[in-house]
Amino acid sequence: MPVLEAPQILVIAAALAAAAMWLMLPRVRAGAPSRAAGVVLGLASLGFFASQLPGLGDWADGLIVFVFSGVTVAAAAATVTVHKPVYAAIWFGLVLLGTAGLFLVQGAQFLAVATVVVYAGAILVTFLFVLLLAQPEGRAPYDRTSTEALVSATVGAVIVGVLSIALGRALSSPTLAQTMPPAARRATGVLSEHHVAALGTELFARHLVAVEVAGILLLVALVGATAIATVRKEHKP
Amino acid sequence: MKRDDPGKGDRHLLPTGPDGCFAQKVPVPVSRAKLRWIEEPKLGPAGRTYLPLFLGGLTTTLRHLLGRKVTVQSPEERYSPPDPLIYRGVHRLNRDAEGRVKCVACFLCATACPAHCIDIVAAESPWPDREKYPQTFNIDELRCIFCGMCEEACPVDAIELTSLYDLSGKSREEMIFDKAKLLGIYDMTKDAEPMRSSRNGG
Amino acid sequence: MPTLETLVKIALLIAGLMTAAAYLVLVERWVAAWIQDRLGPNRVGIPLTKVRLFGLGQPIADGVKFLSKEECTPAYVDRLLYFLAPIIMFVAAMAAFAVVPIGSVLPIDVEIDGTTRPIELVVAPGVDVGTVFVFAAGSIAVFGVLLGGWASNNKYSLLGGLRSGAQLLSYELPLGLGILGVVMVAGSLRLETIITQQAQSGVWNAAIEPLGLLVFFVAGFAESGRLPFDLAEAEQELVGGYHTEYGGIKLLLILVTEFLHMFIASFMIVILFFGGWHLWGLTGSGSEVTWPVAIIRVLVLLGKVLLTILFFMVARWSWPRFRFDQLMTMAWKVLLPLGLVNLLTLAVWVEYGDRVSRAMGLPPLAVMAVCGWIVLIVAWAVLAWALPNTTDNRPRRESAGEL
Repeated sequence: MPVLEAPQILVIAAALAAAAMWLMLPRVRAGAPSRAAGVVLGLASLGFFASQLPGLGDWADGLIVFVFSGVTVAAAAATVTVHKPVYAAIWFGLVLLGTAGLFLVQGAQFLAVATVVVYAGAILVTFLFVLLLAQPEGRAPYDRTSTEALVSATVGAVIVGVLSIALGRALSSPTLAQTMPPAARRATGVLSEHHVAALGTELFARHLVAVEVAGILLLVALVGATAIATVRKEHKP
Repeated sequence: MKRDDPGKGDRHLLPTGPDGCFAQKVPVPVSRAKLRWIEEPKLGPAGRTYLPLFLGGLTTTLRHLLGRKVTVQSPEERYSPPDPLIYRGVHRLNRDAEGRVKCVACFLCATACPAHCIDIVAAESPWPDREKYPQTFNIDELRCIFCGMCEEACPVDAIELTSLYDLSGKSREEMIFDKAKLLGIYDMTKDAEPMRSSRNGG
Repeated sequence: MPTLETLVKIALLIAGLMTAAAYLVLVERWVAAWIQDRLGPNRVGIPLTKVRLFGLGQPIADGVKFLSKEECTPAYVDRLLYFLAPIIMFVAAMAAFAVVPIGSVLPIDVEIDGTTRPIELVVAPGVDVGTVFVFAAGSIAVFGVLLGGWASNNKYSLLGGLRSGAQLLSYELPLGLGILGVVMVAGSLRLETIITQQAQSGVWNAAIEPLGLLVFFVAGFAESGRLPFDLAEAEQELVGGYHTEYGGIKLLLILVTEFLHMFIASFMIVILFFGGWHLWGLTGSGSEVTWPVAIIRVLVLLGKVLLTILFFMVARWSWPRFRFDQLMTMAWKVLLPLGLVNLLTLAVWVEYGDRVSRAMGLPPLAVMAVCGWIVLIVAWAVLAWALPNTTDNRPRRESAGEL
């Protein structure tokens, strides 16, 4: 079991991430040098985070996870820092693909594919649809500048730092090591080759009420959207 | 057309709204009582299932798929227009009975031409029966749209369209037909396609 | 882990798909020509000879022509997305084939991770979510269309892209409903299992759930953007739609992608509803195969796919294109209710059908087929009766005559 050796490194990494995001976010007097500095700091921060990641044993598995995570994080940073809204949507699509890849590495095929279908295929396409019609060039002031760059960067970094320290602690604590299923048993649940059936049973047997409530909520939202959309004002000339 | 540019063309005849665009409702110069709406025909119960239309479309395509083909395999087989006298192919300049060009350089064909492909330079006629004759007569066959308006416009039936359709050339210059070439086409086609009028001695 | 086997399969699949796309373009041109009483391309054969081979050299000539075209980029396009869009489309379409079986298995055993198993004719065997994966790859293709239309900086392209985006988004729903019915009957999302289930029962899903087939077929047509649904291109209105500004090799990529979408739709129709590689009395249904059976299964599957593609090609010239409001009505008011009815019927069937028909002493699948057809006819009739039979697109009567 890997042990979290130095939580202070995670703190440094989070602080670096905050500075990097602040430098990269589109601000009023931020130019290319600022963004370049932000990219460098961001890479350094990623390096610090990565140095604390527990190894996976197999170098090929580790490489795949690192590549997917790196792409996902970099694309997420790009999503909030680019000027053009359409490019932000594309970067977000890459974030989703990276996340799906991470799910796939973990063996959660259904979750990976569902992420792509639901988020990339439906939600993001709807975003794109509106973006294509609205502001093609990214000239609007709300695209050129981010209003609360410092606050948002700091808050984001604090959340990331706290989460990573908490996760590191949890992963290295002895109690969790005992509760974690052994590798042999892990392959029988939602991670097994026939996991879709297991996932379905889990969802529709143990969590049936939650699924139904969510379904009803969506139905109500659908009906509401239809009701709002069909109200027509008669134009009196 | 710009908005602050009223009264040009036909647009001032239509009512415009306050912003200069067309008003939403174009006035109908009839009373409402006389107005009659033409509606799409209502579909019967069979038509509403979409099946007859579906099958109709499919049978039509399948019939043509298996039917006789009309393609003419061009270099080996030749397509001959059913009535060469009314076909609109390459132009020719007709000659009169004495072998002179019939054209009197009146420019009516050049004026009528919608593609502006006819270029005539007129000169004083060396012959007593007319005042002018074409010194040069060029037709840009690449610009020509073969509408036949020149033929219609000609008062002396000097320019006619033949049934030759497969004209080609290796350069743009080659496709500008001059007077000699156009007269040559007449010599080539006069037996197969006699002149459509014998005015001025054909 | 990528093994030699997988790499060989990928290479064969890409080579096969590209060749098939090239030659099906020729077939499409032939079919189009015959339907229009022409002969179609029949001249290009072996270069520098008089041998014509019925025009079989045409795809090579087309390819050379596309490759040797001038690579020009319009001045005001968004360069990055303009280049990215065809690539996204192509990659997404190719990725979908990773889980599509081209046959069943080959009788050669290979040893992987200590277990021996025969070579399966899928690039990625054992993907538990095969159908959803194809679906996901299809939904990525929308990006290419939307981005290509937008990046071209041309109003026709943008309109084509938007139309296509709305169309693909709307028809994904009935497509999913059509798939769900099959998945419910087979009890698996895996394409190989779906085929095996049909092969073992000997009854294709098309007979059991004709309504599902109808919904999936129409939605599949719409997803592949072929002619009754090709509002994205609509040459008469939008020049070329989202690929108006594309030329040369990028246009080739887009056109090949459209063919790949048609392949995917055909493969899915055949696998989900027409029994995949199964044909009665010819292919057997077991997982143990000999060489002749393995080859016959591949040929049967490809033959069925070819027939479906031919239907796509004939359909192109048979019916006029839908207007946009008709398209949306079709998706939301026709196919969606039909798909739900189909799903509901099948759910009831899966829960009670087996028991009830056994109690009555009838073969379950026959009862199911009869029920399926009755549901199809009733649902169709109800829909035909309920929908307005003409679209009222007149100006409003009350105000039109006023002055």
